[in-house]
Amino acid sequence: MKTEIRTAAQGAVPTAPSADAAEINELLRRYGVKFGIYKNGQFKEQLFPFDPIPRIIEAEDFKAIEKGLIQRVDALNRFLFDIYHEKNIIHDGIVPEDFVYISSGYLPQCEGLTPPENIYSHISGIDLVQGKDGVWYILEDNLRIPSGASYPLIARELTRATSPATFSGGAIIDNRNYSKLLKETMDFVNRGGINAILTPGRYNAAYFEHSYLAELTGATLVQNDELFVEDNMLWHKTYSGGKTRIGALYRRISDEYLDPLTFEPSSLIGIPNLMEAYRSGNVAIINTPGNGVADDKGIYYFVPKMIEYYLGEKPILHNAPTYLPFYKDDLEYVLGNFEKLVIKDVAEAGGYGVVFGRDLSEEKLEEFRNTLIKEPRRFIAQEVIDFLDLPIIEDGGQVMRKADLRAFVLSGEKTKVWASGLTRFSRNPDSFVVNSSQGGDFKDTWVLSR
Amino acid sequence: MGTISLEHGDRLYWLGRYAERVFTTLKSLERLYDKVIDRDPSHYIKYLECFGLTDIFGDCDSFMHDFIYDKNNSYSVAYSLERAYDNGIVLREEISTEALSFIQIAMDKLDSSHNSDKSLCVSMLPIEDTLFGFWGCIHDYVYDEEIKDIILCGKSVERLELYIRLKYRTELINLEFERLCDILRRIPKNTPYRYNTEQLSILVEIIGGVGCKGKESEALSALARLFEH
Repeated sequence: MKTEIRTAAQGAVPTAPSADAAEINELLRRYGVKFGIYKNGQFKEQLFPFDPIPRIIEAEDFKAIEKGLIQRVDALNRFLFDIYHEKNIIHDGIVPEDFVYISSGYLPQCEGLTPPENIYSHISGIDLVQGKDGVWYILEDNLRIPSGASYPLIARELTRATSPATFSGGAIIDNRNYSKLLKETMDFVNRGGINAILTPGRYNAAYFEHSYLAELTGATLVQNDELFVEDNMLWHKTYSGGKTRIGALYRRISDEYLDPLTFEPSSLIGIPNLMEAYRSGNVAIINTPGNGVADDKGIYYFVPKMIEYYLGEKPILHNAPTYLPFYKDDLEYVLGNFEKLVIKDVAEAGGYGVVFGRDLSEEKLEEFRNTLIKEPRRFIAQEVIDFLDLPIIEDGGQVMRKADLRAFVLSGEKTKVWASGLTRFSRNPDSFVVNSSQGGDFKDTWVLSR
Repeated sequence: MGTISLEHGDRLYWLGRYAERVFTTLKSLERLYDKVIDRDPSHYIKYLECFGLTDIFGDCDSFMHDFIYDKNNSYSVAYSLERAYDNGIVLREEISTEALSFIQIAMDKLDSSHNSDKSLCVSMLPIEDTLFGFWGCIHDYVYDEEIKDIILCGKSVERLELYIRLKYRTELINLEFERLCDILRRIPKNTPYRYNTEQLSILVEIIGGVGCKGKESEALSALARLFEH
């Protein structure tokens, strides 16, 4: 056993923990860091494999990303308020109304509703990639129920335990404050009562995250059948026949299933009248229902314009170059440059509905062209960004793979960026799709302190 | 104090029961194993009879293997351990990641003991140690006494049931019953684990009086109905 921690030399920045992947993955298994998936109709729990070589973000680089993310999320929150109230951005011709009202994320039931403290997106997961030119591009905004923070959080806890010397120089910002940030966010909007995390249950893919965040924040992990609305307040049914008021509900189920009396009537995992309690200002729902209109892949195109419109500032972070076939010029460009572009179905998520033009056969290409002409609003097209590859461990050696970064932005009294993030990569050397639901693995993200 | 839902209350209780079932089953099998070493090799049939089961194994080795590793045998260690995990996995915020990890470790150790060339007692020892770790965590990390009491209530009911079924010594049964009574006194009224006075009285009369001998079914029936309301 080693107890001596050799302090890293002044100025030296470690590039990887000293422990090997197997040791850390064994601990992740021990602590139940699993990811549920359905395969052939069967539920299976599997490890979310961890690669020990971290993504490292320099302090200066992070400062710029942080500023850009705060700017972006603040603008998106302003957009959401505007869309569900005055709609000035539509009246002023910045965002065409087609893109708002056709979006499946736009919920007319949320018209005129104002969430506590005016915060719509409390936890925003912003997906970025770094191009080979070093420039960071935003790929996607996730403002509904972005998941993934718990994985680098527990991975860091375990990496520090297995490789203390790696962290001894203080060069890497400790990321274990995520639960504190999350609790602050919940407390800030809490309308009186406890904080609760609503999970669809053990068989949800992200169940580990729900339970781990409940443990770390002290929130109560709840399921819908334990909740009810009475006197326009949300209550947790206790086993003694009593009830405990919930002031902030961090729900990990989709908008449409939240309240069968307001949204999908067939939902069995919702809470009847939850939206009434919310409308009455008696409970905060985190994130606010209706956010999907702002993280729609079609709306993404307009986010830089939103930043200028609401904040009067130039966007700090770039969107990936994007075309909207909805516009005639863009449609022509897309039709003529299919092989250079990645086409995304705006109604899909989790890496589904993503097609690389270069991978299509001539026949499929023609079919796709026709679909695009028929349903231009359904798709966006983006230039394929040549991501910076990151090293991963494979068969004992190192190979380079595509990776993205999900940064987490928490909006409470202030908007804060978590100095870490989930770096996902694909083991498949030819794949740009890194989503965990599609077999992607993960890395920790180290933000350097100096 | 936090807020405990009906489902989580139930899970806490059954976590206690299954975790204890693993432990007492192991201990009982070791006790049995000791008997068959140099005495009656068919003694395992008596063990089966305690659960109302007939011998389908033919020999003690097959019986032992099945009662330890067969995940489809609801009396086996492996089965109970999986059920403990199923209940524990949804209780992370109540019992802690640390406590939950001991169930996972016990499952891993049970799996790896499969190929061990060591004796039963020696190869099961790490699993028992791990369960002690689990209970240590429950005592150490769970600050909510109400939550702790529900788990301990399940644990004690399970141990008592197995002790009665397997005809453990009267003194041991008495000690466990006293422990259960201590826990029951702490369980608040209007909760599902508040004792049924009538059933508790029957148990006091049997266990605290003449002992269980010959009255096992009566005692087990009262124990099964202890929380009926």
